[in-house]
Amino acid sequence: MSIVPDPILDTGGAAPALRFGDVVRRYGRHVALDHLDLQVARGETVALLGPNGAGKSTTISLLLGLLRPHGGCVEVLGTSPRQAVADGRVGAMLQTGSGSGLPPGVRVSGVLELVRRLYRRPAPLEVTVERAGIATLMRRPTNRLSGGEAQRVRFAVAIAGDPELVFLDEPTAAMDVESRRSFWAMMRQFGEEGRTIVFATHHLQEADQIADRVIVINRGTVVANGPGATLKAAVASRQVRFVTAHPDERMLDQLAGVTDVVVRGTGVTLISLDADATVTALVHSGLEFCDLEVTGAGLEEAFVALTECAIAPGQERAT
Amino acid sequence: MSGLLAFGRFEVARLLRSWKFLAITVGFPVLFYILFLHDRSPGTVVDGQVTWRVYLMVSMCSFGALVAALNAGGSRLSTERASGWARQLRVTPIPAWSYVTTKVAATTLVVLPVLVLVELVGMAFGGVHLGVGTWIELTALLWVAAIPFSILGVFVGFMVNAETAYPVVTALMFVLGYFGGLFNPVGHMSAPLQTAARALPSFHQASLGLALVDGHGFGVQDAVVLVSYTAALALAVLWKHRVEESRGLA
Repeated sequence: MSIVPDPILDTGGAAPALRFGDVVRRYGRHVALDHLDLQVARGETVALLGPNGAGKSTTISLLLGLLRPHGGCVEVLGTSPRQAVADGRVGAMLQTGSGSGLPPGVRVSGVLELVRRLYRRPAPLEVTVERAGIATLMRRPTNRLSGGEAQRVRFAVAIAGDPELVFLDEPTAAMDVESRRSFWAMMRQFGEEGRTIVFATHHLQEADQIADRVIVINRGTVVANGPGATLKAAVASRQVRFVTAHPDERMLDQLAGVTDVVVRGTGVTLISLDADATVTALVHSGLEFCDLEVTGAGLEEAFVALTECAIAPGQERAT
Repeated sequence: MSGLLAFGRFEVARLLRSWKFLAITVGFPVLFYILFLHDRSPGTVVDGQVTWRVYLMVSMCSFGALVAALNAGGSRLSTERASGWARQLRVTPIPAWSYVTTKVAATTLVVLPVLVLVELVGMAFGGVHLGVGTWIELTALLWVAAIPFSILGVFVGFMVNAETAYPVVTALMFVLGYFGGLFNPVGHMSAPLQTAARALPSFHQASLGLALVDGHGFGVQDAVVLVSYTAALALAVLWKHRVEESRGLA
């Protein structure tokens, strides 16, 4: 599968917000990033989309100078990642696992006060508080925040220095639907002020709805790159579902148009780029089947087709 | 530079605001001093020419410094690293090395009031009488000599995770305190335990202070041991920091 239209980016003469050239990063023998190329222009909001372990967090760590590449070059705002961070031009919200990402034993206002002092030209405090919607949380100790509240405070920490470029690694992981919605509204507002935003997610809807452009990463390489709508159109896949007594995965995979086969007991789902051809081939194969169903492609299926991940449609992806 | 100062102030304020931290670091040495003072007659000469009341005061100063450093560094640091805050700081303009150095500096700063408090208790309850100059020298000496404890605390915080930090810190407090001869003069220990005590920094830290009060002046041998510990621990922290950095964790 090679749907990698290289969008021609108008960087307006200035250095792009970030440039990732032929980057290789390994963990021991495991290759996390395999000659990855990507570029983001200033002012763009870009989603890094991919399943867990695709290399999204590694990419962000490299862009922040937390990791060094084993090959290739990484450039942020026309300089090295570390320099960009040291100059206070970059803000980030990292993944924190089970932790809150905030220091214990201090009020939210204290954390923000400190972070603002670490930057040379921080945004006015009221502006940051307003942008992150944390006015009511300011006097709260950091260990008395809910998951969604802590996430908002961490967003405030990320933008307190008034950065030109913001990285968000799975920012809505701990949020419910409502806080997710308000978080993205906040983000969009922030992005409209001319800032560059790069966020990693495995929520397809988020990528599709929020980002100007979606970069799909799998197994350490870019498998697709373009606006969400373009990606969907490019893949234009269909699901062909049916039930058969003896599903033969290898045979099914050979059918015309099929890019992915998911077998659950006797239930089979084929992801196909050409449903008509697939169904015709299925009939001619002589296989006995029933309950045939052909459904249209969502971004979900497009994503599955792109990353060739055997995840059953409708099955909730692990967070 | 102003960023570093702000971070230092933030760290010290956070330590002083922690009720649990203060109760342990100030409470333990002061309580132990009052409890153990009449274990022997306070005027008994132990270990050379120092009286029990002075020995116990200097020992509890060392113990207080030890407890403060291990708690400020060890358990708090590992909790903080687990929470992701340490990593968040790495993506702010503050230099990478400043996290560790600020921790050591903040811990060392907090040790000073602990020393002074124990000394005040020694003066008020223990009947310790020293000249003004000796008080100042003693405080300064014990304070500087407590720096390896601060580095040890930070090293522990880097080495262990949040769950194991507490037992490790407790074990170190016990080993360095008890076997370092802070609760029982080394001269009263069996020969193997004496050898063990002389290998520990806590013994030499207290010994520096005792020699000063004793009139033996500056304990060069103690100083050499403490400087070696400081260098070794600093290298260990540096090494661990490098390893974590290469993995993108520090």
